[in-house]
Amino acid sequence: MNWKKSTSLLTASVLLLGLAAACTDKPAADGNAGSNGEAGGKEAPDVSTTGFPIVKDPITLNFFAGQAASAPPDWNSVEIWKEYAKMTNMNINWQLTPVDSLAEKRNLLLAGGDLPDAFHTARFSSVDLANYGGQGLLIPLNGLIDKYAPNFKKLMEKYPEIKKGLTMPDGNIYSLPTFYDPDFKSVVIGSELWINKKFLDALGMKEPTTTEEFYEYLKAVKTRDPNGNGKNDEIPYAASGFSGLLDQLKGAWGLGNRGNTHSRVDVDPATNQLRFIPADPRYKELLQYMNRLYKENLFIPEILTIKGTEVLAKGKEGLYGSFMYTNASTFGDHKDDYIGANAFTGPHGDRLFSRARSPLVDIGAFAITSKNKYPEATMRWADYFYGEEGSTMFFMGIKDKSYIVKPDGSVDYTDEYKSNPEFGKKYVSWGGGYYPAMLTAKTFKGGESSPENLEAAKKIEPYYPKEVWPPFTYTQDELSRFTSLNTDISTYVDEMTTKFITGDAPFTEWDNYIATLKKMGLDEYMKIYNAAYQRYKK
Amino acid sequence: MRSLRKNWDLYLLIAPVMMYILLFHYVPMYGLQIAFKNFTAVKGIWGSSWVGLDHFERFFNSFYFWRLIKNTLGISLYELVVGFPAPLLLALMINEVSSRRFRKVVQTVTYAPHFLSTVVLVGMVLMFLSPQKGVINHLIQLLGGHSIPFMTEPEWFKTIYVFSGVWQSAGWGSIIYLAALTGIDPGLHEAAIIDGASRLRRIWHINLPSIMPTVVILLILNLGNIMGVGFEKIYLMQNNLNKESSDVIATYVYQSGILGAQYSFSAAVGLFNSLVNFVLLVMVNAVARKVNETSLW
Amino acid sequence: MANQTFGDRFLGVAIYAFLSVVLLVVIYPLIYVISASISDPVPVINGSMWLFPAGFNLTGYAKIFQNQEVLIGYRNTIVYTVLGTAINLVMTVMAAYPLSRKDFSGRGVITGILVFTMFFSGGLIPTYLLIKNLHMINTVWALILPGAVSVYNIIIMRTFFQTGIPGELQEAAAIDGCGNLQTLWRIVLPLSMPILAVMVLFYSVGHWNSYFNALIYLSERGKFPLQLFLREILIKGEMDEMLQGGGTMIGQDQQLLEAETVKYAMVVVANLPIFLLYPFLQKYFVKGVMIGAIKG
Repeated sequence: MNWKKSTSLLTASVLLLGLAAACTDKPAADGNAGSNGEAGGKEAPDVSTTGFPIVKDPITLNFFAGQAASAPPDWNSVEIWKEYAKMTNMNINWQLTPVDSLAEKRNLLLAGGDLPDAFHTARFSSVDLANYGGQGLLIPLNGLIDKYAPNFKKLMEKYPEIKKGLTMPDGNIYSLPTFYDPDFKSVVIGSELWINKKFLDALGMKEPTTTEEFYEYLKAVKTRDPNGNGKNDEIPYAASGFSGLLDQLKGAWGLGNRGNTHSRVDVDPATNQLRFIPADPRYKELLQYMNRLYKENLFIPEILTIKGTEVLAKGKEGLYGSFMYTNASTFGDHKDDYIGANAFTGPHGDRLFSRARSPLVDIGAFAITSKNKYPEATMRWADYFYGEEGSTMFFMGIKDKSYIVKPDGSVDYTDEYKSNPEFGKKYVSWGGGYYPAMLTAKTFKGGESSPENLEAAKKIEPYYPKEVWPPFTYTQDELSRFTSLNTDISTYVDEMTTKFITGDAPFTEWDNYIATLKKMGLDEYMKIYNAAYQRYKK
Repeated sequence: MRSLRKNWDLYLLIAPVMMYILLFHYVPMYGLQIAFKNFTAVKGIWGSSWVGLDHFERFFNSFYFWRLIKNTLGISLYELVVGFPAPLLLALMINEVSSRRFRKVVQTVTYAPHFLSTVVLVGMVLMFLSPQKGVINHLIQLLGGHSIPFMTEPEWFKTIYVFSGVWQSAGWGSIIYLAALTGIDPGLHEAAIIDGASRLRRIWHINLPSIMPTVVILLILNLGNIMGVGFEKIYLMQNNLNKESSDVIATYVYQSGILGAQYSFSAAVGLFNSLVNFVLLVMVNAVARKVNETSLW
Repeated sequence: MANQTFGDRFLGVAIYAFLSVVLLVVIYPLIYVISASISDPVPVINGSMWLFPAGFNLTGYAKIFQNQEVLIGYRNTIVYTVLGTAINLVMTVMAAYPLSRKDFSGRGVITGILVFTMFFSGGLIPTYLLIKNLHMINTVWALILPGAVSVYNIIIMRTFFQTGIPGELQEAAAIDGCGNLQTLWRIVLPLSMPILAVMVLFYSVGHWNSYFNALIYLSERGKFPLQLFLREILIKGEMDEMLQGGGTMIGQDQQLLEAETVKYAMVVVANLPIFLLYPFLQKYFVKGVMIGAIKG
């Protein structure tokens, strides 16, 4: 039995070796940063609370950041970071990872105990934050914000929803957000519903303000040949899928009164209880309206399978009566044909702009880890970008190189920047979003700042919901149940919504649909949702 | 016993491979526990809390569980029935071509689609099947029929999925059979010709049996992957109208990962798939053993 | 006799005809991809281009080659592929040959041990930790060693050895005084050119297309393989990216349209070199030279 003996010996030694190598699976948190922000509370003698430099002696920190494809690949050579390092006396070692492997890499780093000093452009979900914060990997920022983040502190005081949205079930804040100035509505909304002004004029119609007028307009586009070429080739509404229009129109039935971050839940004004929108009778009416549009062929053909890029490309033909996107800038000769639509009044007299996002666009943009020896300085470092000066630098770059200050005080990109996207990447790194900074009309000049976008935003301002919820947070116990309910219910709602609109499911099926939702556990789902909501209200 | 000593060098030969397998495959297997725990990166795999079969229950209790199983298995079996013989037939035919040039051209061209990325492939499929401007529907209309909206009818989904897969990979799959066919003794064919056998009979009685072991092994391995319907292609072809036919386990797991932190859940589902695959493989292998002499072990 | 010749000829013609149809059906997507890579993006997107290029636009290729990192990627991928395939081939033979021998005791058990790993794996995290503890993070070994051999391929090669190499030949060699290794080297391998060629093809393509391990284990851009760079270039134009992110950069809309041609150009650039491997290997698909040796 010689070979058996030697093989087993060999096997055993390999296994032992391997296990030894693999099982140094030590928990990554040493938890010495304290569990309630006290460590950052005492005055660190060499960190300035205002002004620059931030520290007297230079320090180096490791930041781990997610790099979207539209962002530069190496932030160590980006001008604003080089400049900022000089200003602050803090050298940041940027470790980037492409966005699609961000979550994996993050998990791996944490499992292996290789914490960076901070996560930047981190895309943490509220679940992640509660998790990692609760385990001590990320430190609570409450005390640090108070003493070392004058800009952000001011923002929190002005907009109480920030604090509410960032606070985790355990009462701590573990992250800094991507924040859009709520007054800069066009960027908060993002994409708009655009209506073809040229067509309106040709048809002799005025801009639609009710859902019925919108329907009439679409019909007219289809049948009365507004582009005058003798063919009925116009496309009344173009988009990829129904969801954009659904979100836009639900306000006309009074649905979505807490904003679109919670696209399926709002508050029923009659009972003051949470309402599951897709089960509401008014949702049925909305779907019936959409079904009418669909049956009369008012949507772009193959709306369900067409890709976004194809919709955009086709826009150049100038055949769209209406469409939904940031703006029409890719439509070549037809880019000036459009105006932003208003919020429509529905059959019950409601007029609400339901596609409102929360200004707290992403809550987990920046977080400080327990490994960080200089949390105070790090907080000051991040805080700059929530003030006007920092925001300008972050979005515009370096003065006179990538942007200029106009005589009226406003800023704009240099021509070189505007003509060559690659040029911009040498100066700024905000491409792709999810950054920890404040974005305001004064400091951001991207696509959403065009005059058309600003005008459109002004129009719908009066109909903006009074309160827009940011994402809610859930406890660990709630989470697994909530996720499985959410997955199943969302799948069902999405499928049935599409089928009702296309007519594949007749409206006689509606009661069945509601019954199925109940069977799937809708009540339990809403109960958990409500628990999270109550926590938010506090 | 004597053979053991006689073949000591063979054991030595295979040893490094076994060490590699042990180190890189068996050592990390402790990770299988994740399926039974609530994994959190901080506590690591050993430290995370044990939840037993919770994740599995969650999966089994999903409203859509049976639909997912039905679709996953349905697609796999359909693929097997259509996609398994195709490369074999192709190889047998190519092997009969006497013109070396034509052979080379056919081989090279048919194996090329394998290199197209899934995104590009699906893009093309969608284009051809478009009810408005797709080539296929043009043909249908020419022949007097009505345009069929292929991608939004659940009944068509599996067919489109499988046939586009054959289109893409039949050529690549035939390579192995072509290699096997080169090992056939030409003497056998010469003898058969002298005996008056037609080409068809020769293919049936010589070529096919000679490569049968390869065919059987590949069949067994394929059956052992029955739960393995991949994510990307399905996801790109799926939409709300065809979901009843196109929702598979992989896309479901992806959906549930959207809220975040679903590591353990996807591990549990993965383990379930692997278990089913493995059990099936063992059964099929046992059958193969009884029926012929080729089997995995 | 006349009947058979007719039957044979009919079959021959039928086969030619069928294969020609197959050829046409299959060559179409290839022509399409090449045309799309040099067309104007708009006709490609709306489907009006269906065979020959519409307009002439090389921005797809320009965008790819402008990026100097693409050349670095090419170099790296070639190195990884050659190194990786060499290791793969050697390891596969080292396992397949013993397993093909009927007199190799324990082969059932060993095969079982190998096959088990095709189904059950510990997952990314333990493997990552292992690699980390072996200090292989950010090295070429992290890309090559975890996948050093494929059990699937071992089994295929074993099957070939079992059926393609007559046992009598090996016995004869043994009688002549050849040891196992010599038999392998002098007799089995030379007769196995086709399967070796197939393995080279399979493994090479696998390495060439791989990107996931690089994504996870490499942090130095200078070591990135081609696929990683190409994915960056491609995703730049994807729409979902834009709608989620904070604000659209100016000019990004144009990039969106160009992304279509980039997609196709990328397929060509990424795959042309490896695609040429098969025609090159085809000359090894030759009937075993020594088959006659048994009779003789």
